[in-house]
Amino acid sequence: MNILIAIGGREYSKLTLDLGMKVSNSFEASTTIAYVGKKISQFAEKDVSIVHQSLDERQLYRPGVRTLEWAYDFLKSKEYIEEEKVATFNDYLLIDEEQSRMRVLLKGKHSNKINLILRTGEIIEQLRSEVQDNNHDITIIGGGNNKGMHHDLVQFIDSSVLVVKNYSVKKQYKILLPVNNSKGSNKAIEIAEQFAKSNKLFVEIVTVLENKSSDNTLKKILERTEEKFSNAGIKNTATILEGNVVKRIVENAGDDSIIMLGVSPKNPITKYFFGSKPISITAQCNCPVLVAK
Amino acid sequence: MQDYYKIVSSSILYWFSQKKWFVFSIIFALIFISLPTPIGLTVPAYHSLIILFMVFILVTSEPIPFPAIALLTLVLQVLLGVAPADVIASSFMNDAVLFVMGSLMFAIAIVHQGLDIRLAKIIIAIFGKSKRLFLAGLMVVSAILSSFLGEHTIIAIMLPIGLAIIKNVDSSTLDGKNAILLVLFSIGYGTIIGSIGTPSGGARNVIMINYLQEFTNIQIDYWDWIKYAYPILMIQLVVAYFVLKFAFPTSLDNVRVQGYKRSIAKSNSATNIKHLFSCLIIGLIITSWFLFNQELGLGIISLCGVLIFMICGMVPWEVINKNTNWGVILLFAATISLGFQINETGAASWLVEKFNELTSSFPEDSSFSWSFMAILTGLTSNFFTSSATTSLLGPMAIELQPNDISFGMSAAIASGFSFLTVISCPTAMIIYSTGLVSIKIFFRVGLLMFSSSILILYLVSKFYWVTL
Repeated sequence: MNILIAIGGREYSKLTLDLGMKVSNSFEASTTIAYVGKKISQFAEKDVSIVHQSLDERQLYRPGVRTLEWAYDFLKSKEYIEEEKVATFNDYLLIDEEQSRMRVLLKGKHSNKINLILRTGEIIEQLRSEVQDNNHDITIIGGGNNKGMHHDLVQFIDSSVLVVKNYSVKKQYKILLPVNNSKGSNKAIEIAEQFAKSNKLFVEIVTVLENKSSDNTLKKILERTEEKFSNAGIKNTATILEGNVVKRIVENAGDDSIIMLGVSPKNPITKYFFGSKPISITAQCNCPVLVAK
Repeated sequence: MQDYYKIVSSSILYWFSQKKWFVFSIIFALIFISLPTPIGLTVPAYHSLIILFMVFILVTSEPIPFPAIALLTLVLQVLLGVAPADVIASSFMNDAVLFVMGSLMFAIAIVHQGLDIRLAKIIIAIFGKSKRLFLAGLMVVSAILSSFLGEHTIIAIMLPIGLAIIKNVDSSTLDGKNAILLVLFSIGYGTIIGSIGTPSGGARNVIMINYLQEFTNIQIDYWDWIKYAYPILMIQLVVAYFVLKFAFPTSLDNVRVQGYKRSIAKSNSATNIKHLFSCLIIGLIITSWFLFNQELGLGIISLCGVLIFMICGMVPWEVINKNTNWGVILLFAATISLGFQINETGAASWLVEKFNELTSSFPEDSSFSWSFMAILTGLTSNFFTSSATTSLLGPMAIELQPNDISFGMSAAIASGFSFLTVISCPTAMIIYSTGLVSIKIFFRVGLLMFSSSILILYLVSKFYWVTL
């Protein structure tokens, strides 16, 4: 499994890194940490590139390298990664892999588990390209309050997306797993099972009935999921909720859940113009949300 | 089948979300074309204004690459009957375009020589007695050099010096943060202010010289421009010093000027010779701009500089080719061509007429139209970049008062006041790309600087230019 963690400023990225590495370690996944630098206007892109080359030559390094170095040290201090003793460098190495993408090898540091990537440009475009080119299964990104970005992330990134909103390392989290009869929901169940098992988390499985003909199917899926988790030795409860799906899930999640749900099966055009339940939940909830694809 | 449909519709949606401004600009253009031509405008003139509107949308939102915008501008001028293909082709290349090309290449050749360390030593030797004096020196030297060699060249040389001296400053304290901003803004404002000083300071200056010559037969040489612009530059530097001092109060405690001096003390003979030779070439080119700009054109002279660097083996073609922004060169060529057609078709005169009709209720004072044009070009350049602004609004500025040189000159100079946004010029974008300056801070300090610059320009044009 490949996991992509996108980071920005240092203060805000600690929690994203922390939860991101917990997810990554649950799957023993290969992890890429990407810093996406500011989008440069086409007028100045060559000028900026010349300046950055010049800074690298003088060991002043382009923006983002120090943040990646900080991220690496943070993960090491939290024992999420172990440093390999094999390869060391006397200087930072920035390998220009393709347009707007650079792989960073830090001075004197090396871990096989982590790839450090520097990208420049519009964030959705860069993450989409990173996911497509490197087949990442989950993209993890900090919350913020940008609802438009949440919408675009879920809509356009071709991987599951974990938005780390209002996360605290001190809080005891449970997984809130809304289930239904979509493909995305099956994927969410898989991810939740692995993550809960690995981090010994309690799972609250829910399904929301909306007085539709599919209600019986949903009840069966709920029972099946409960059985699956119990057989795997994961503590869980299964609850049937009624009413507005978005409202009930957001209420139930509070601020001490990690919501894991499947992407909407609606067609992309409807989702783009009218949104979807997962997009609304991501925007409205006050806790981390994973939308599985 | 359903998955296939989802993949295709998702790809189309993504394309739309990225290119929506391109789609909107096409829709706007189609709507305008279907409307009746406004009274007083010919069809080609009307169409040239529609293309101008499209270019504004496309350049500010960047949904497609610049070379594509340039090609679209050219193609549309022919397809919409603005002018025949031969006329468009001949207006595509002139000395201003050669200057854009030459100055971009010349900048790459100069930066490739690694002159920043040499320059740092000189600045420290002259201004190194105190940290504040050093920063003032950094700003003044940036301004003077940028006035001759262009802001994109000088910011690339000066920024490593600035970043080196703030390397150890703690950005988590307010004092440290202000110190970092003060250093970066001193360099940034120095280079931005400097770029108005001479014709070679920025492509917009050369574009305006070309327009004045073509549309009004007024010839402005290198010296003339300096006489007009340098006093503004000097007053702006003094104002900028105090604006920055007021905006970023700091003790400059961890700014290490002497430490940096020690770290760059060593240099070998080969580097010394290379630097000496580079300086000779730069000196030769600047002298030629002064002496032969009328005969040879600024563009050809800057290309000569690139040629000498390449023939002497001081910069490989691969480096120039890789780092030259060919898209910008094409875009300037296309917008200059459009600017010419806006004037030739009478669209510029029509816009000026409409402007005069709108302002007929105001007192008949040229100060009003002057202020309007200066503020409009200044503001537009902050969202559209300065050279593109001059190439498109320049003809209208001249048309407002064809016999008064101050309108054209003010439009070109005001479009160099790139203090408000980070997209306005390469310097602003480079400073922003360090990740140490936010858009908000840039705007806040820039607003003060922009307003005072417009005021300075007004006072100088009103009381000093009339004496020339």
